[in-house]
Amino acid sequence: MKMSSCQVLALALGVVALAGCSTPMVNSVENTPKAGQAYIINDKRVITDSSLGRSVAIVAVNTATTPAGFLRAQVELKNHTFFRQSFLYRFEWFDASGMQVNNIVSANLSDQLEGGESKFISGIAPTPDCKDFRVKFISGN
Amino acid sequence: MKAKHLFPLLTAVTPLFFTGCATDAHYVQTGDKEQIISLGQINIQDYATAASLAVQKLLATSAIDKVSAPPALIEISRIINNTSQQVDTDLLTKKISIALLQSGRAVTKSVDEKAAGYVQENAFLNDQKNTRLPDFTLSGKIIETVDQAGDTRRTTYSFQLSLNDTRAGYQVWEDEEQIGKQGTRATVGF
Repeated sequence: MKMSSCQVLALALGVVALAGCSTPMVNSVENTPKAGQAYIINDKRVITDSSLGRSVAIVAVNTATTPAGFLRAQVELKNHTFFRQSFLYRFEWFDASGMQVNNIVSANLSDQLEGGESKFISGIAPTPDCKDFRVKFISGN
Repeated sequence: MKAKHLFPLLTAVTPLFFTGCATDAHYVQTGDKEQIISLGQINIQDYATAASLAVQKLLATSAIDKVSAPPALIEISRIINNTSQQVDTDLLTKKISIALLQSGRAVTKSVDEKAAGYVQENAFLNDQKNTRLPDFTLSGKIIETVDQAGDTRRTTYSFQLSLNDTRAGYQVWEDEEQIGKQGTRATVGF
């Protein structure tokens, strides 16, 4: 099958474009079985951006409390695509009455995941009264 | 297409491009998706990021709880500016002192001259010989490093903070947050 010069050019441009977009994939290794025991909690997820839901997929959420009684939350994320994904995230904290407590620990923070990468993000409650939290994600693309 | 047709077409289309790029003034949230990222200066969201990450680590440590009379009294000390720009370090330290105060685990020493005067007056009236000295001081440094390859420039701002015990002279907590930005020019959106 012969290709016209236009098809060859289109193919070449496509390869160049893909090469330009591709990002390094991430391999990893870790110990198993785990010595530490993460307290994985039940969570409720609201996905309005399905593309972001794949590139910044939430694997699990675990919590712990500091010696001073501050709630800490950690979210494991995984990028199920081949491409780098930048995103903004913020932890929102709520006291025992369900009222939101705002301060600098709830700032929007930027981060990124390489293709196939897993990463943990964590937050700490601004006061010991905070009992609940919510994490928001916004795509950077 | 003849050149005489091309000129009116370009004249008609060009304003559309400019109209598409223009944005009316509107309120924005600090650190939102529309943030402006400058290569040669510390943006407001850089202070917020550095302060947020530092505060989280500071709240996670038990160092500030080891005082004889909690909450700990912290004096915000000098933040050395080793960057090429003039910065107001309150953009960093105020966020940290607000979060510490809100946490209930520390209070910061007032820098208000009137308050200092009243402290002296109160001490005199109540015949107090000693006023409370700070348990800790918070000091730090902001460092800028620039790397360049052709037109591409990478600027990294390192925000270094230390919590110093005023009795023992130890640094009981330290942190460094690095904010790196790379590109050829400033842009809107992260």
